[in-house]
Amino acid sequence: MRRSALALLVAFVLAGTTAALSAAAPAPRFSLPGIPNPGVNMRAPEIGKYGGTYIISQISDPRTFNPIVVQDTASGAVTGAFADGLVEQNYLTGEIEPSLAESWSVSPDGRTWTFTLREGIVWSDGQPLTTADVEFSAKAIFTPGVDNSFRNLLTFRGEPVRWRVLDRRRIQFMTPRNQPPVGLFLRFIGFPIVPKHKLEAALNAGGQQFTQSWGINANPRDIVGSGPFVLQSYTPGQRVIMLRNTRYWKVDRQGQRLPYLTRYVILVVPNTEAARLKFLARETDAYGARPREFAELKALERQHNFTIYDGPETFTREFLVLNQNPNAPISKTKVAWFSDVRFRRALAHAIDQQTIINQVYAGRATPPTSDVSVGNTLYYNRNLRPYPYDLNRAQQLLAEAGYRKGPDGVLRDAQGNVVEFTIVTNAGNQDREAIGNIVRQDFVKLGIRATFTTEAFPSLVSKLTGTYNWEAIIIGFTGGIEPCTARNLWLSSGDLHMWNPNQKQPATAWEAEVDRLFEQCGTEVDQNKRKAILARFQEVVYENLPMLYFPYVKTQPALRNTIGNVKLGLQGVTGELDTRYFKGAYRP
Amino acid sequence: MLRYIVRRLFHMVPLLFGVTLISFIVIHLSPGDFLAEIRLNPVVDPAVVEEMRRNLGLDQPVHIQYLKWLWSVLHFDFGYSFAYHVPVSWLLGSRLLNTLILNLGALVLAWLIAIPIGIHAATRQYSWSDNALSMVAYLGISTPTFFSGLLLLYLAFVTGWLPIGGMTSIEYDTLPWYGKVLDVARHMLVPATVLAFGAAAGLMRQMRANLLEVLRQDYVRTARAKGLADRPVTYKHAVRNAINPLITIFGFEIGALLSGSAILENVVGWPGLGQLILESVVRKDLYVVMGALLLGSVTLILGNLIADLLLAVADPRIRYD
Repeated sequence: MRRSALALLVAFVLAGTTAALSAAAPAPRFSLPGIPNPGVNMRAPEIGKYGGTYIISQISDPRTFNPIVVQDTASGAVTGAFADGLVEQNYLTGEIEPSLAESWSVSPDGRTWTFTLREGIVWSDGQPLTTADVEFSAKAIFTPGVDNSFRNLLTFRGEPVRWRVLDRRRIQFMTPRNQPPVGLFLRFIGFPIVPKHKLEAALNAGGQQFTQSWGINANPRDIVGSGPFVLQSYTPGQRVIMLRNTRYWKVDRQGQRLPYLTRYVILVVPNTEAARLKFLARETDAYGARPREFAELKALERQHNFTIYDGPETFTREFLVLNQNPNAPISKTKVAWFSDVRFRRALAHAIDQQTIINQVYAGRATPPTSDVSVGNTLYYNRNLRPYPYDLNRAQQLLAEAGYRKGPDGVLRDAQGNVVEFTIVTNAGNQDREAIGNIVRQDFVKLGIRATFTTEAFPSLVSKLTGTYNWEAIIIGFTGGIEPCTARNLWLSSGDLHMWNPNQKQPATAWEAEVDRLFEQCGTEVDQNKRKAILARFQEVVYENLPMLYFPYVKTQPALRNTIGNVKLGLQGVTGELDTRYFKGAYRP
Repeated sequence: MLRYIVRRLFHMVPLLFGVTLISFIVIHLSPGDFLAEIRLNPVVDPAVVEEMRRNLGLDQPVHIQYLKWLWSVLHFDFGYSFAYHVPVSWLLGSRLLNTLILNLGALVLAWLIAIPIGIHAATRQYSWSDNALSMVAYLGISTPTFFSGLLLLYLAFVTGWLPIGGMTSIEYDTLPWYGKVLDVARHMLVPATVLAFGAAAGLMRQMRANLLEVLRQDYVRTARAKGLADRPVTYKHAVRNAINPLITIFGFEIGALLSGSAILENVVGWPGLGQLILESVVRKDLYVVMGALLLGSVTLILGNLIADLLLAVADPRIRYD
């Protein structure tokens, strides 16, 4: 299933493909011609060798090469390799680190952030990269008609961030005081910087014009960047070829200019099967295996000279949600069942997570506790324990809530209504269909007459967000590293607060608490305090279960053994492009 | 003849109008739109989705949207792709040639194989070779292309002789012209064989049946009775008459040149129209779907017209004036 890419986008734009100074070890001082303070990639375990073509595959074509308007992962894989931001996210820890900006300071009131660009950095065409470009990029983000996901993040309750250029290297951003999400400002300021000298004409012609510039029909020579690679060619439906940016501003731990690779190629393949075959046939160097393939590929490691890694869980959450919306055009009786937390907890105890893990994910998943993935090491609340599979406990909870299982084995509520509802998921997603069948059987064991069907994705979404004519839906959301950016989902006034959207006042005490926690989290700058707030958020969700979560799926990246600098990070990322290299022989 | 062609082309106009109108309405009748994905993103503000909807023009009533589209189509502007932010004509154009190359290759291959084999089978009816060829033909007709495509891909993988899918290799741009031709041919072998196998099987059965029919006719017997040699009887007289119905099939195949390989393209990763269109239908990328439909309809109609004209050329009894 394709999920919306914005949350992902935040993750990958910030995770980026590049590196910066590590806070742990003091970085040695180096210099490059014209760049007195280049970035030093301290995260890579090895010093690499130059040369080689690194080939990966992905299932979709890029949709644009304009870093500002990118909304999907396929395009992000390309723009991420040539566009940098002021700051970037450490792919191992999720922390924010310097990128194009070598440093920043914040005023005592926390409102004014001053960023200083590295001296001497240039675009891949040799033009200097200055604060004029930063200002231009920010201006593009706020121009009407420019479809982008950054405007939303840099707007604080209707108030956009403001900026002021101090000189060629220093720029200030001003945020409104204490309006969420200013606490996450540093994470959001990592938007990609685009060259003013190349795109100014398009922006002057209007927002729509800018959205269409640097499209997939653009001449690659017109596309310049600051990242480790530059676009060489794009052949629709086939491949993107990127070349080493000889003007890149980062060095390795010995002061050698990065990246090591000569070329970086992204093949477009029609499906995962083709991706797998190409990897095994050594046409590509990396493959993100599906959970079921782990054991099979493990057995092929030696024969095909690769290693498949036991990666951490992704941030994507799959869940079942029950319609508690009093305005929904479904039976009020059902809304009453779904609104009862005891009913939801009973269902949570009835879901056999281990069977889902074994049958759907071949053991490659972890039981869920709440809305934050186990793989989000920054914020996951380790004190929570997954709801155990316990039918007795489930029946007990139902009995307490007045439900009775008759001699016919059918569950009825206190008024004698037969408990029955329909679970829907989007057609074509095999994992969800398998989960739906398991969950249906689990609920039938409680005496519930549950049915399970599938529906086309657009139609399902129009029910979920438009007509509200649904009872139970199984679907998934991608997640960013910051849980409290999902305001539209968790605020009781949110449009995507699926079980009871657009509330004027929080309907329940716990929803009021989540609202408060989200406001606090959004304004809190201190990471540790934010951790505490989000730990409480997870507790509240765990106790009240507006969504019944399914296991968090693990990643299993596979890489050719000739590839160097492999170190697993968040969501199973295996390393960074700029320090990737070939240990031995390589393709020219 | 010319008047006939002009009349037929003229008839295309209401036909295309009807096809596009109905398609437009049907697409809008199914619930959900292109923005379904972004709506399900907890980070995105609903106001942003609304703005995008306005930018895409999806907030207007269906008939306005259709009329606007029709108006621009009349000016040869097929609209923009929501997903790719590029003109639909560019998007389709970037794939058109690839699909055409594959289908033309397969078409030529299929006819080159099917006609001689059909003749062979008909002239040696019920011989062991006829029976064997019939078996192979049934296999070809009954095997779906995605299956034989996958099978051959695995074969390519196991043997390592051929690339696994795609149309060109990474070094394509640096190759001399003959290298480029060879490179594409190497990649085309699997999909073209699959397509040709399926098409040739049907064609060969057709050719065999037609020729058998003709060979039984009186004039063939007369020719033989007059002492004419077997070869001229078969090839000069019988085959020419037997091939007539195949011309109609040929017309249909021209119509299918842009759509016949859609499923296979998705299996072997041929960068053609099929992949693009399937994706745009699933995502409801409206104007790409409409552009593809228009293109498909035009080629189908033109294919039929060409078939009718070819019939007139081949058969002196057929006249259109």
